[in-house]
Amino acid sequence: MILLGEFALWIALPVGIWGAVLGFVGGRKQRGDLVLSGERSVYAVFFLLILTSAGIITAFLTDRFEYWYVANYSNRELDTYFKIAGLWAGQRGSLVFWALLLSLFSSIAVFTNRHKNREFMPYVVGVLLSITSFFLVVLLFGDVNPFERLPFAPANGRGLNPQLQSYWMTMHPPTLYLGFTAFTIPFAFAISALLKGELDTRWIVITRRWTLISWFFLANGIILGMRWAYEELGWGGFWFWDPVENASLLPWLTATAFLHSIQIQENRGMLKVWNMSLVTLTFLLTIFATFLTRSGLIESVHTFAENTQIALIFLSFMGVVAGICLLLIVWRYPMLKSENQIQSFISREAAFLFNNLFLLGIAFAVMWGTLLPLISEWLTGQAITVGPPFFNRVNLPIGMALLALTGVGPVIAWRRASRRNLARNFRMPVALGMIVVAALYLSGARNGMALLTFGLAAFVVTIIFVEFVKGTKARASIEGEGPAIALLHLVGRNRRRWGGYIVHVGVVLIFTAFAGAAFDRKVVQTLDPGDTVTIESPFGHEYTLTYQGLSSPRGQNMLRQAVALMTVEKNGRPFGTLTAEKRLYLTWETPVTEVGIRSSFLEDLYLILENVSDLGGAFENSAEAQRATFEVQVNILVGWIWYGGLVVSIGSLIGMWPSRGQATVGPRTKIGAKQPALAAKGP
Amino acid sequence: MRKNGKFYVGLAGVATVITYLIWTGVSQTMVYYFTPIELIQRVKEDPSFHQVGIKVSGRIQQGSWEREGDEYMHRFTVVDLEDPSVTFPVEYRDRLPDTFNDHEIVDVVVEGRYREDGVFDATLVLTKCGSRYEAAQEELIG
Repeated sequence: MILLGEFALWIALPVGIWGAVLGFVGGRKQRGDLVLSGERSVYAVFFLLILTSAGIITAFLTDRFEYWYVANYSNRELDTYFKIAGLWAGQRGSLVFWALLLSLFSSIAVFTNRHKNREFMPYVVGVLLSITSFFLVVLLFGDVNPFERLPFAPANGRGLNPQLQSYWMTMHPPTLYLGFTAFTIPFAFAISALLKGELDTRWIVITRRWTLISWFFLANGIILGMRWAYEELGWGGFWFWDPVENASLLPWLTATAFLHSIQIQENRGMLKVWNMSLVTLTFLLTIFATFLTRSGLIESVHTFAENTQIALIFLSFMGVVAGICLLLIVWRYPMLKSENQIQSFISREAAFLFNNLFLLGIAFAVMWGTLLPLISEWLTGQAITVGPPFFNRVNLPIGMALLALTGVGPVIAWRRASRRNLARNFRMPVALGMIVVAALYLSGARNGMALLTFGLAAFVVTIIFVEFVKGTKARASIEGEGPAIALLHLVGRNRRRWGGYIVHVGVVLIFTAFAGAAFDRKVVQTLDPGDTVTIESPFGHEYTLTYQGLSSPRGQNMLRQAVALMTVEKNGRPFGTLTAEKRLYLTWETPVTEVGIRSSFLEDLYLILENVSDLGGAFENSAEAQRATFEVQVNILVGWIWYGGLVVSIGSLIGMWPSRGQATVGPRTKIGAKQPALAAKGP
Repeated sequence: MRKNGKFYVGLAGVATVITYLIWTGVSQTMVYYFTPIELIQRVKEDPSFHQVGIKVSGRIQQGSWEREGDEYMHRFTVVDLEDPSVTFPVEYRDRLPDTFNDHEIVDVVVEGRYREDGVFDATLVLTKCGSRYEAAQEELIG
């Protein structure tokens, strides 16, 4: 099975290249037979990559430590679950996994378009297989072959980093990768549209759902990463502006901009060059994020040379892709002229444009901050870095402006908003936002930025709520339906619009959660059994934790564990118990902290076992080794990130759900017919 | 066209504000990134480096970690990766990462200020464990 997998990897490359060539040649010469063969290559590569992945997983499951990759990311004692996840635990497997997901999506795209959009498909196949082949070349010749053997087989592997042995961590990378790879489909259609000169809105309409799917996975991947950081890294935060986190945020930001700006092109025929550039940029950023994640390019400024090879291969690939796209856009520039002009600052077009600008502004700031060490060292020989203070300083004001636009965008009129339109839509939400700020101020909240966020959040949610009520009422009176049925039909009729509003509500919840962090509290104390530590919540109540002592049970794939038990009282009444641990894993010499979390709707009680005076003694259950240092935190509104994430998911699922009758946009028309009228009209 | 012209001015305005935010953000929060050798050398040449934020990457000297009582006060020594004779002491008052220890080979990045008395007052300590996750082949074989 493993050998078969390795063999399949070698076969996949020529098949991929062959299919890519057939796609381009078939498209150029209008040869349907060549194109068909190219499309079959897509399926073939997918099949071969399944074999390759199965080979790697088999090597993990059967403890074949003669393979470098298995030896470094697994050991005999590892749970089966994490052995399967070994496929994406390290750089080598991740690259295979990336190629596998891309070929999966390519196959779906080819299959769903087997009878429609035929004029785009040859080049789409060409582009998709070229990208897949690039990854295969890297895998086979970039010194990262997952099937590389060690000169002899070690008795056991090094094991998986304990911090990666978490449910969230097995979910987080695949979700992000699904998001990264899914975006290749819109990109491939965009390139195909440029090559064919089919530059109406059709490529956008065809790939709209793909863009949403990609966005959905990116958003979820990022939120899962936050969840993992919060529960596993044990410092009580969920975002650290670390280069790897930033890299995953970048394509999400530009994809969000793209989702908004294509609506202007669909409705007003504007921003064609901009959309082409955004789709290219987002694709490049998914590649950037993929290779940055594991290359260590940024953190290790002074050891840059060690990783030059793979970084250089990827950077040159990005350079080549960027160059080709730029040339194509310049070549087709005459066909990308805007059909309309912006008439007023106070219009939906303008709101969307500013939304784009703010999103790209954040993306640029994040990119600049992330790459600054490299850029500055390259320019001046002196590396300069920036950290969380920089990112917060720059992104907070832009984020606020974006949040405000989230409210303005959906209800402001196209072209030019009248004074009446503004007054009617904004009077009540603005008032409500101000009331929220005043009420919170009076109840003691004093953080300016946080108050502004809460006020804007109330403003946006009110606007969306009013939209839902208005829409439902109108439908109920016209169709004579009950309110619940009317609401369902309303959303069903224009899933993208109402799904989008729901996504906005989720984003608002997440922003609110970020602002809540301004009110977090923490206490650090060293305790002996029987001692208590008290922490007051900003909501007025008080937690008292009584330290009961350390004990040491045995766990799987673990050498030792020291578990500290706390009984908790809230305002003097019993409130259950909390445990926090230090673990020492087999093959992993340093201890790992496991935190205790008690979540409620408004706040989390978060317990960290910071230090055990005599860890060795504690592992032996010694009665003397009980003294320990704890950090207790009250984290405000953290849960709203996860709730917000859920709302975002529901909203985007509604937005991308296939709707009968509407999905068949322009399939059976003649090749080359211009169909701007087919662009879905927003209400 | 005139309308669009006005619009470009608006866009340029927003772009300027964002650029300004980034510029001032960098200049007010930036931190120099040195190796221990560079740190000692730069400070000798220009004492004003005592005043600015600095980040140094090096390695924890074996057996140098001291904890004051059970409180949040850690003292340890960082050595240069290339020249083990270049060292400087660090003081840090916060939770250390799990991977921090002084009996293995642990690479570390400390951020803070290099005080006039020659002690590095760290506000952030990160352990770099990349070497533990990847490229540990020699260790496996040897």
